Amino acid sequence: MKERRTGVPGDAAQLAVLTQFLRDFWSAADLDPTQVLTFELALEEIFINIVMHGSQPGVTPWVEMSLALAADGLTMTVEDNGPQFDPLSLPPPDLTTSLAERPVGGLGVFLVRQMMDAVSYHRVGARNRLCMTKSLAG
Amino acid sequence: MNVRYETLPVGTVVILEGRLDFGNAAGFEKQLEQVLTGASRPASLIIDCAALEYVSSAGLRAFLVTARASQRAGARFALCALQPAVREVFDLSGFSRILTVYPDRATALAQMPAGRA
Repeated sequence: MKERRTGVPGDAAQLAVLTQFLRDFWSAADLDPTQVLTFELALEEIFINIVMHGSQPGVTPWVEMSLALAADGLTMTVEDNGPQFDPLSLPPPDLTTSLAERPVGGLGVFLVRQMMDAVSYHRVGARNRLCMTKSLAG
Repeated sequence: MNVRYETLPVGTVVILEGRLDFGNAAGFEKQLEQVLTGASRPASLIIDCAALEYVSSAGLRAFLVTARASQRAGARFALCALQPAVREVFDLSGFSRILTVYPDRATALAQMPAGRA
């Protein structure tokens, strides 16, 4: 079992379905359990971004996730058919600001970039595609 | 996520168990706002994270908003006993620097003077 794919509507309540899918993949592939939380976090941040920014009035985007194991680690790809949006174009938060000045948003994508080895965005046809890869060694 | 409260002379300890994520962060934030402004008006709010397994940016946001609400209410705000996965998120986001984090609950309690900030 090297690759699995699933899809859900871009509704916040569906995050639990994708998280369970990720965990099932994890245990079936016998991966290091201490690293699953990193992927759960990346999944939540990216999925919730799509829910918040990918919806248009009356239209819920469709979101597909695939998980693929390879020599360089695990790649999680999240695709949606919402409006074109590159989360990697967001400026990184200023980590030096004080408690009072610190903006409350903008952290999610930053955390994903910090935790993953590689993150890339492509617009493929009418879809946004975000690929995240992290080595599972050590 | 399970949330339990313990009222001590130095303040209120909030014991978290499970996951703080997009699904429950806003409700958690509201609960803490009520604790801060409610009848008991604790002199300090100590978030015990020993059994908190997971926090996402939505959870960080709840901590940030609560830290500011604590300042406004004249209460001290601190967290303690972060698990490694939660600690990593705090370190990467810079939250370890802007919030007060103690290694364990005993240390946190020892640092809380009696009376309001």
